[in-house]
Order: sequence, then structure tokens, then C-alpha cells
Amino acid sequence: MADNVVHVENLSKHYPPDIKAVDGVSFSIPSGVVFSLLGPNGAGKTTVVEILEGLRTPTSGTALIFGTDASKDYAKLRDRVGILPQNFEPFDMLKPSEAIEYWASLYDMRIAKKEVKELLESVGLYERRNSMSKKLSGGEKRKLGIALSLVNNPELLFLDEPTTGLDPKARRDLWKLIDGIRGRGTTVVLTTHYLDEAEKLADDVAIMHKGKIIVRGKPADLVSKYSKMTVVVLVGAGKEGLSEMMRRGIPATEENGDVLVPVSDPAEMRIVLAKLASIQLKVKDMYTRRQTLEDVFLNVVGAKMDEGVLGQ
Amino acid sequence: MRRILADTVAFGKQYIRSGVAMFFAFAFPILLILIFGAIFSGSGEMKLSLPVQNLDEGPYSQAYVQILENISVVDIEMIPTDQDIEDYIRNESLQNAILIPRDFSFEIGEYLVGNRSLMVNITLYSADPSSSTYATIQEVVYLSTVNLNYALAGATPVVGFTSTEPPGFDDLTFMDFFLPGVVGLVVMTNTLYTITSTCGEYKTRSYFKLLATTSLKKYEWLLSKFIFYTLLLFASLILTFAIGQAIFDMTSTLTPLAFVFIAAGGFLFLSMGMTVGIIVKDPESGAAVANAIGFPMMFLSGIFFDLETMPDYIQAISKAFPLTYFNDGLRDAMFGGNLESALFNLGIVVLIGLVFFVLASKLMSWKER
Repeated sequence: MADNVVHVENLSKHYPPDIKAVDGVSFSIPSGVVFSLLGPNGAGKTTVVEILEGLRTPTSGTALIFGTDASKDYAKLRDRVGILPQNFEPFDMLKPSEAIEYWASLYDMRIAKKEVKELLESVGLYERRNSMSKKLSGGEKRKLGIALSLVNNPELLFLDEPTTGLDPKARRDLWKLIDGIRGRGTTVVLTTHYLDEAEKLADDVAIMHKGKIIVRGKPADLVSKYSKMTVVVLVGAGKEGLSEMMRRGIPATEENGDVLVPVSDPAEMRIVLAKLASIQLKVKDMYTRRQTLEDVFLNVVGAKMDEGVLGQ
Repeated sequence: MRRILADTVAFGKQYIRSGVAMFFAFAFPILLILIFGAIFSGSGEMKLSLPVQNLDEGPYSQAYVQILENISVVDIEMIPTDQDIEDYIRNESLQNAILIPRDFSFEIGEYLVGNRSLMVNITLYSADPSSSTYATIQEVVYLSTVNLNYALAGATPVVGFTSTEPPGFDDLTFMDFFLPGVVGLVVMTNTLYTITSTCGEYKTRSYFKLLATTSLKKYEWLLSKFIFYTLLLFASLILTFAIGQAIFDMTSTLTPLAFVFIAAGGFLFLSMGMTVGIIVKDPESGAAVANAIGFPMMFLSGIFFDLETMPDYIQAISKAFPLTYFNDGLRDAMFGGNLESALFNLGIVVLIGLVFFVLASKLMSWKER
């Protein structure tokens, strides 16, 4: 526990009359990793994070950062922690360079022009340093938010839904930026409802559902443990293809007109492919797909997560 | 101190870059004093038009018209005697008119030679007896009639009156009375209205939460707003006052007490706005609530209309508005007149400000429970 940057034990947050936003959550985060709290909207991710940020008081349990109780003594942690809140919006009428200088002052820091430049360059905003923040794109605003969260050179960085609402390119840009922050040795707590984001960025994932952590582990381990490793997709094989598989005793499912054949052991892949090749099927295309956290979520929760919303 | 300064500068930059806010701080008071100054401080006297139809043309009716002409607030225009006065009023859209009847002088002559049963009437026509000009015209006609009666009775005046102003008030212009009210309005609109929206915005955009994660304290944030608005309002006061003096020959001065009033008024309305801003959900509803509070104060605190001319219940309501005390006190402070009254009003302004400040501090929570 001593080496853990974050240690959460049996943390609960209840609201009257009987809403359990967080229900007995426990986890630890070692130094230098990207830890992702993953789950649909309302799972309790932000509540956990805001307790750790000293913004909410837990009903019970412990939330320690660097061994200090975050809900009671956050002032002691302030200089070591950076925060990008959910739905971050910058101050409209401040330029990015001014916003950074302002934010540094709020941490009692003097920041040199050179440092402002370096920080803006690190998030790819230097060219936009003199634009009013309200004129920045959605992705640029989040980058500015990340720049502000880094202004005090934090050892621990909270990123709460950093890419929500952004277009794919802006999301990829931010992923690159977060990857770079990990490279500096900063511990990152990433809250997201994007399964691909967690899979791409996180070293360690905790899937939350209804206030509880239901699964915890490395993304690859979770995929390995909770889902079939690989699926062969027969594009357009349809119901005919599915009945052909059944007739020959090959386990398969149909999804949107495609037939999916799971292969649990990689060593069996050649055999399965050979079997499929021997069957005369009308297919438009055939490819193999590694299963993802999305499949893990589906298997564990029994429902799909689409844009942060739980669907059946 | 560094945090307070940084927050003041950052907030100030955002405020100043917002054109709307700058309009209310500088352009709005200047426009108000220019418009109202042009209307009420002009060199020409304000005269009401009073059309008169004299169907008599005798000596007494001529004397009556002469009395009317000697009254400075009316401008007499004669209606041709071949016109029907009621048609004329309608066709010319006249507000008021007087008819001196035929045989006016003859009837008076008859009275003077002993026929005491006679009484002759002048008729006052009015298209709108509820208008304020009608009240003035009615008074003019009444006084002229009384004067003619006295003259006919051969009476000479025994009691007269002179009009004078106490020392210190002798050179005061309309603008000297009006400008403190405008300053009060500017203090209220710039603080109450904008801070209410600002608090709403800080809530909806989670800025309070964000600030809570920094070293900035809640009282430092409140203090920085007070510093910024005080400086802004000082600048606005100096500019407005300079224009008032340059164009309208104001004689009142910017006393140190006037600056104390500005700071106290800023504190009061800022605290009031913060209290409202913390309660409302978003900037839009904040603006609506601020309007609901500010509008009655704007019109019932003695800025545009003299409270003494209003019904008793309105005067009683105005006593509940802090802007009334601010305006009364600032006028005293700027005229250098009743210091005791100025300090009394200052005390009330500060006291109400403190109540709202404590309320705002208690209600404002940057963190969630």
C-alpha cells in the first residue's frame, strides 16, 4: 500500500433516500500507470474521482492519495495532483497563455513565459496561444484543460471523460497527448465510457457498474479471461451460413447478417480456417477479429455499452 | 495576495473584453446623463402651450389674457374667433384650451355697477384631464382668475413671498440631483446583474469545482470580485462626473465620502447578486431574477422620479429598497450637505451589504456534500 499513489478501500457514497452512487469500492493504483475507471453513465466513476479530488465527502470508506486522506486533507495534496474535470470548458475571454499564467498563480506558482510556451507546445496549442479560448475547437479546449491540469507538474493526474463529445480525430490527438503524459512517469486516472479508449490507453482497467467495480485487471488479461480470444467473421453469410455451421457442429452466432465463429485457442485457428475453407459458402469477405473490452463488458454485465449508455 | 491579484486581473480581463459589460459601466451612464441632461438642463425654460379663444375682445378679457401671458410656464396662442373651439381642439389635436366667452367684459361691467347676482365663467377644455400638464394648466387658470378677481375688487397684496436657496444649494443644477441617481443605477446594474450571471455560469460550467481544486480560497474569490468592481465603478464615476461637469456645469464635487459610498454600494449589490447567483440554476435564470429585483428599485428609488410626488404606499415600498438609501446618501455626500444623513445612509448600505455577504458566504459551496 505504501507504494501506491492511490488507495481506495470500501468506499461508499449514498444519497437519500436510497441511491448508492458508489457501493463499497476498493482499488489501488501503483505509480506511473494509466488506470482507467470504465463504465456507462451513472456507474459511479465521477463520484469516485470527485471524492479523490476532495470535491465530495464519502459516506464511508477510505480514499487515500500518497497516503493522505483526500476527502479531509486535500489541501496537502493540491500541489501534487492535476485535474481535468468532466465537460471542461475554459474561461471564454482568456487566451490560452493567459489562462495558464492565471492557473499557475492560483497554485502560488510563478511561471515564466518560457514555461508557458513549453506547456502550450506540449499540448499542441502554442500556435493558438493568442486566440480567445471561446474560439478554440472542442478538442483544443480539452487540450487547454489538460495544459491547465499540468501547470503544477502533478505526480497524479485525473482525466474525467477527456474525449467525450469530440470527433474521432480530436480523440486520437488527445490519446497521443495522454500517452505522452504517461511517458513522463505521471500516474493517470482516466475516467471514460469509451471502451476503445480504455483499451488503447490504460495499463489497468476497473469496470464499474451500479456503483461497484465488477471486473479489474489489465485490458489484455480481461479480454483473455472474459471473452473468446478471436472471432472469424464471415461477412454476409447470413442464416444459411449459420445453419451450415450448425450442421457441421461448428459453434457460431449470427450478427447483422454476418456469421461469427469464435476460436478460443489460437492453436486451433488453422484447423478452423481449413474447415471453413472447405465449406461452400456465399460470403462477401472473411476476416479475423480479436475480441475487445466491449466483448468483456457484454459478457460480464450482460448488456452493451453504447456512447456511455447501457443498452440491452 | 498573489492569488487575489491574479483572480482580480483574470476576472477583469474577461469582464472588460465583454462589450456588453463595458457598455453598462461606461456608455450607459453617459448616455443617460446626456439624454436626461438635454431634456431637463437646457437653457430655455420649459413652457406649456395654452391656446386661448377670446370671443369677447373687451377690456377685462384683454386684461385676463395679459395675466396669462405674464405667467412664465405657459405660452399663449390665440385661437381665431371664427372657429368652433371644440372642432378646433379636435382638428388640431390640442391637449388643453381656454374659452373666454362673449360678453365677458360686459358681464363684469354689470357686476361692477351693482348687479351682484351675475357670475361669468371661463371654460378650460382638456383632452386628457389625467395628464400632468393638465394639473399645471388648471393651476395657471385658477391663479389667473384669482388675480383678476382681486384686481376687480381693488385689493392690494399684503402677503408675498420670495424664493431663495440655502448656501451650498444656490448653484445646483438638475444634473447635480440626477447624476448621483445615475451613479446608483450604474453601481446596481454592474454588480447585481453581472455577478448573478457570473455565479450561474460558474455553477453550470463547474468553475467553482475547478477553483476548489486550486489554492484559491472562497473568501479570496469574493474579495477579488469586490476589488475589481470597486475599481471599475470608481473609473465609471470619475468619467461620468467629468462629463457632467464639462457639459452641464455641475457644482457638486467628488468628495472622499462619495468614493466610500461607491465602494459600499458595490459591496452591497455584489453580495446581493452573489446570493441570488448561488441560488439560481444557470446564467439565464440568474439574469431574470436580477431583473425582477433590479427593475422595481430602478424606478422606485428616486433616480428618475421624485419619491415625494409618489403615493404613500410607494414611498413606503421605496424604503425597503437599498438603492434608495444609496441614492439619498450619495446625494448628500456629493453636495457636501447633510453629513449626518449621508453617514446614516452609508451605515444602512453597509449593514444590508454585510447581511447579504454573510448569506452569500454561507450559501456558496464549491464542493458537493
